[in-house]
Amino acid sequence: MGETEVLTTKKKKKFAYEPVFTEKKEYRPENVREVGFVFVGHEISEDGNVMNQFLHYDQLYTIRHGQNSRFFKGLLDGKILGTRCPRCGDTWVPVRTHCWNMDCNLQKTEWVEMPLKARVHTWTVAGWSGRSSLKRLPIILVYGVIEGSKVAIANELKNVKPWDVEFNMPLKIVFKPPEERIGAIIDFHFEPEDGWEPSPMNKEKERIKKLVEPVYEWVKTLK
Amino acid sequence: MNRKVCIVGGATTPFDYGPTGFENIEGGAAECVKETQRDIPEFSLRDIDLMIYSHFSVHFGHQLAPEWIIHDHLGLVGIPHYRVENGGNTGGSALYAAALAVMSGHHDVVGVIGWETMDSVSQSQGSEFIAMASDIRYELLVGGIYPIYYAAMANKWMHENRVTEEDVATIAVKNRNNAMDNPKAQWYRNEHRYITVDDVMNSRLISYPIKKYDCCLMSRGVAFLLVCSEEYAKKVNPDGYVTIDGMGLSSCTIRAGDRLNFPGWIERYGPGYPDMTEFAACRNAAEQAYKMADIEDPLREIDFGEIHDAFSTSEAQIYTALGLADKNNIAQFIRDERTHMHGDIPMNPGGGLMGYGHPVGATGIMSAIECFYQLSGMIPKKHLSRKTEVPDAECGIVNSHAGTGTSISNFIMRRH
Ligand SMILES: [Zn+2]
Repeated sequence: MGETEVLTTKKKKKFAYEPVFTEKKEYRPENVREVGFVFVGHEISEDGNVMNQFLHYDQLYTIRHGQNSRFFKGLLDGKILGTRCPRCGDTWVPVRTHCWNMDCNLQKTEWVEMPLKARVHTWTVAGWSGRSSLKRLPIILVYGVIEGSKVAIANELKNVKPWDVEFNMPLKIVFKPPEERIGAIIDFHFEPEDGWEPSPMNKEKERIKKLVEPVYEWVKTLK
Repeated sequence: MNRKVCIVGGATTPFDYGPTGFENIEGGAAECVKETQRDIPEFSLRDIDLMIYSHFSVHFGHQLAPEWIIHDHLGLVGIPHYRVENGGNTGGSALYAAALAVMSGHHDVVGVIGWETMDSVSQSQGSEFIAMASDIRYELLVGGIYPIYYAAMANKWMHENRVTEEDVATIAVKNRNNAMDNPKAQWYRNEHRYITVDDVMNSRLISYPIKKYDCCLMSRGVAFLLVCSEEYAKKVNPDGYVTIDGMGLSSCTIRAGDRLNFPGWIERYGPGYPDMTEFAACRNAAEQAYKMADIEDPLREIDFGEIHDAFSTSEAQIYTALGLADKNNIAQFIRDERTHMHGDIPMNPGGGLMGYGHPVGATGIMSAIECFYQLSGMIPKKHLSRKTEVPDAECGIVNSHAGTGTSISNFIMRRH
């Protein structure tokens, strides 16, 4: 479709429901841009037998959340919205728009606001991660069960020493300040429930401490 | 079962990382076919009536439908072809598809080619690409890489089963040291040294309890496997062919956290299983494969295996999922070195993912090839010595594993 066509053709109204997006926010970092395919260099081995080429390709994706939208919009509002099956009562965060129970035969679920409380189901202390997370290391990742949910959700645990995390420890959900939220799962994290105290050092805690200490040093060397 | 499904040959390129001069996938595929022809000279490309391609991520290949490049390079125009993709279980799933094709009677000679070119991006970017097979809306942003999800699962499993870091480290040592006898293996071709439990314990933290040497290798590699009817097997490799006597493919949730109360598992195995600790899809796929192959006591009836040791911890978890050990004896099972070369059920004599390498789409095919070599008596020809040969092997298991245990296949293979 050429540019002139866009200008002269009046947009047809869809027969189906068509959302009108009125609230739009841009927070693109300066170094994020789409440039399509660009060959940016090459190299040839000394003996002339092998050649490598360097291709850069970047693409902007639209994650269309559709029926899941209320969960991600809820994050912007500092709320955890779960879904519940009106037939069997099972409740989930991460959400399911249709029930997982075969007897409920893909029953459409309803939205419920969840308490900002959870428990550690399992945990790990990461000393390595993907490119975009390296500077945040070490990361305590927990799978927490939000009160009332049938499933565990992964997120970061903060405000505790990596070696002090425990199975079953009570957690609260803490949101970033409203202006920093982007409607993604990283808008919130877990913290120990108020009043929770770590247990004394033991052999396993000493071991984790020994493994984690070099990670702190290594992260300092990152640019 | 309908028609018997056989394996008559197969080969991989060396698995490696970084430039070695054989990086183009179609060239690698051709070399794999030629090596297979040297083993079974009666096999001609003209015999193939279906090609199944096994490839995980086009992100690594900067090319959509890359199987089309390989296919016509092999001269195979007119022969039907399609690609199978199923995460880390891509190879196992492609083999499953090939076996179904032969079993049905619709095809006689099926070539399976698997590959991955993970060194076309940086290591950390590669980890992030793989993690895109986690639910990116919920998990990618908070974890970032697969080892973290596996570590969280393994941590709970190890606590509940009283398995220690040192215990699983013996598995990491075993597989790497096995690879020292395998010239195609990435460990042999790169770091190339025998390691100890201390080396594993002192390697850098990836995600507690997993350290660097508890993890498999990112790789580039291509593998080719020839799957066929028994009639064809008798024609091209009458003395060395292997039969696929059992197979199973099963599935579990994409997000490991969704396994706590999943109705589909509660119906099959009761409440509390698999939790985030057990690989239910592995157990389920094993049950299917054992039933088909008439295996009642896997520990006694299976001689060895090539299994998906993406992490030393997951190999240990797979032992219980395959029914080789249970909660009460798994720690002792590992400490008794039952799965070492001198044990009663050696696992990953070929080096596994930690020693041989893990170019995702090629991995399950590599495991099937190593299993085939053992059963057809070809180890002295393919490895550097008999150290990694399982004496008198009659029955082997091949295990291929995806996601956080999201898709898993098991195959029982026997010397005919
Ligand atoms: Zn329901």
